[in-house]
Amino acid sequence: MASKDENRVWPTGLTEAESEELHSKLIQGTQIFGLFSALAHLLAAIYSPWLG
Amino acid sequence: MNRVSRSILTSWFCLGPRFLPFADAASEQMPLSRLLRLSLFQVSVGMALVLLVGTLNRVMIVELHVSATLVAVMVSLPVLYAPFRALIGFRSDTHRSALGWRRVPFIWLGTMIQFGGLSVMPFALLVLSGGGNAANWPAWVGQAGAAIAFLAVGAGLHTTQTAGLALATDLATEEAQPKVVGLMYVMLLVGSIVSAVVFGAFLRDFTPGRLVQVIQASAIATILLNTIALWKQETRDPGRYRKKAEGPPPKFSEAWGTYIETDGARRALIAIGLGTMAFAMQDVLLEPYGGRVLEMSVGATTWLTATLAAGGLAGFTLASSILSRGADPTRMAMTGAWVGIPAFGAVIVAASTHSVVVFASGVALIGFASGLFGHGTLTFTMNRAPKDQVGLALGAWGAVQATGAGIAVALGGILRDVFGTLASHGVFGASMAGPATGYVMVYALEIVLLFATVIAMAQLVRKGGDQVPTGAVLGKV
Repeated sequence: MASKDENRVWPTGLTEAESEELHSKLIQGTQIFGLFSALAHLLAAIYSPWLG
Repeated sequence: MNRVSRSILTSWFCLGPRFLPFADAASEQMPLSRLLRLSLFQVSVGMALVLLVGTLNRVMIVELHVSATLVAVMVSLPVLYAPFRALIGFRSDTHRSALGWRRVPFIWLGTMIQFGGLSVMPFALLVLSGGGNAANWPAWVGQAGAAIAFLAVGAGLHTTQTAGLALATDLATEEAQPKVVGLMYVMLLVGSIVSAVVFGAFLRDFTPGRLVQVIQASAIATILLNTIALWKQETRDPGRYRKKAEGPPPKFSEAWGTYIETDGARRALIAIGLGTMAFAMQDVLLEPYGGRVLEMSVGATTWLTATLAAGGLAGFTLASSILSRGADPTRMAMTGAWVGIPAFGAVIVAASTHSVVVFASGVALIGFASGLFGHGTLTFTMNRAPKDQVGLALGAWGAVQATGAGIAVALGGILRDVFGTLASHGVFGASMAGPATGYVMVYALEIVLLFATVIAMAQLVRKGGDQVPTGAVLGKV
């Protein structure tokens, strides 16, 4: 691994491109989980209404 | 920890590998513990598969009273995603990652989608069955919900498995590959058997609440198993990113064109497709055949599945030990196809002799033969995968294998019904009008497919990479 890269930012030791990629994965994960969670709540509400 | 328990622990570690069939799979780069840990993704795949085609299949029909046709459609939806495995593999080969990862992002993506599908699944099934307040809603709501859940689980498991197998190929040396393949197959089998038993036990006293608990527990198990499996496995290579960042993104059609012309790839895929179909067509027929034709009890027919699995386990173990001594994996796959022919023959003969013993040994032999065949073809695919197309090669193998199996299972049921109806109308003569004819016709067709597999395979055996591949020559003419 190229540890002598001066673009690395400490304390994580990641470069900017690497941290951007990690961030995009976090966003992607949140979107996917959010979508499925909304769907699960909708179907649960159809089966047994829990809003009024 | 005190000294006594530490020494007990150490002795367990020393004892362990001797009782595992694939212990010496660990090469210097890949110690056994890491390999075992990686193979956990196969446990989650096995769990999802058994849930889709086994447990939920039954729950929907017996407990939720969904119509059999609708259940068949839902259960077959994940197969639609199988052909995309080649594309997933290609995308992981060419993935542009600053972190220098190729497989981890895809294993993780697949894991998330499988988790999502499983967490929606119980509510979707309850709405599909029209229980609770769902009866006040149009039927398509439940159907759409269930379709999304089934598609998501299928998409997730195919993505995870493709990237996972590619990662295993990346990490294992060529000599270690037969053992890795054996381990992967055994973990898939273990995952399906253990979860089938666990799901069955927890769903015995069925309530809607229990269904939600069991399926969502399997969703959490998916995340846990896959996270443990991929943790710190893939070596990061940011240099690859810098190389790839230049130039336009590679095209799938071009990569596929190059791959399919490499040493026997096309012929191998055809043989894998034929062989997989031959072994998969009996999948849903063995139990009803045992019940209706040989008049076995329900408990006894359940043992057939166990017999088949035991045969498969024996096949993987034997293939692992022989192939790791440097035998030709294509020869192994061909042997599997050859052994399959008398196995199906025995199953057919069992109908006229009414012998359960002949039938059971035929079933065990089918499992054994398909174990040899599956192991041989996957090892072959791993061995011959071009270094920069590992994902594509494994994806193509998985696509052909999963699609072939899906089509074959559906076709087996349909053909059984068609031939059975024709026979009962006396089309094949009065002596063939019994209930066995539909089944026997399908088994005979499987023997024909196995012969076709052997013929397709014959040219691949011991055709080294140094010779001019016939496939490439034909492709240019």
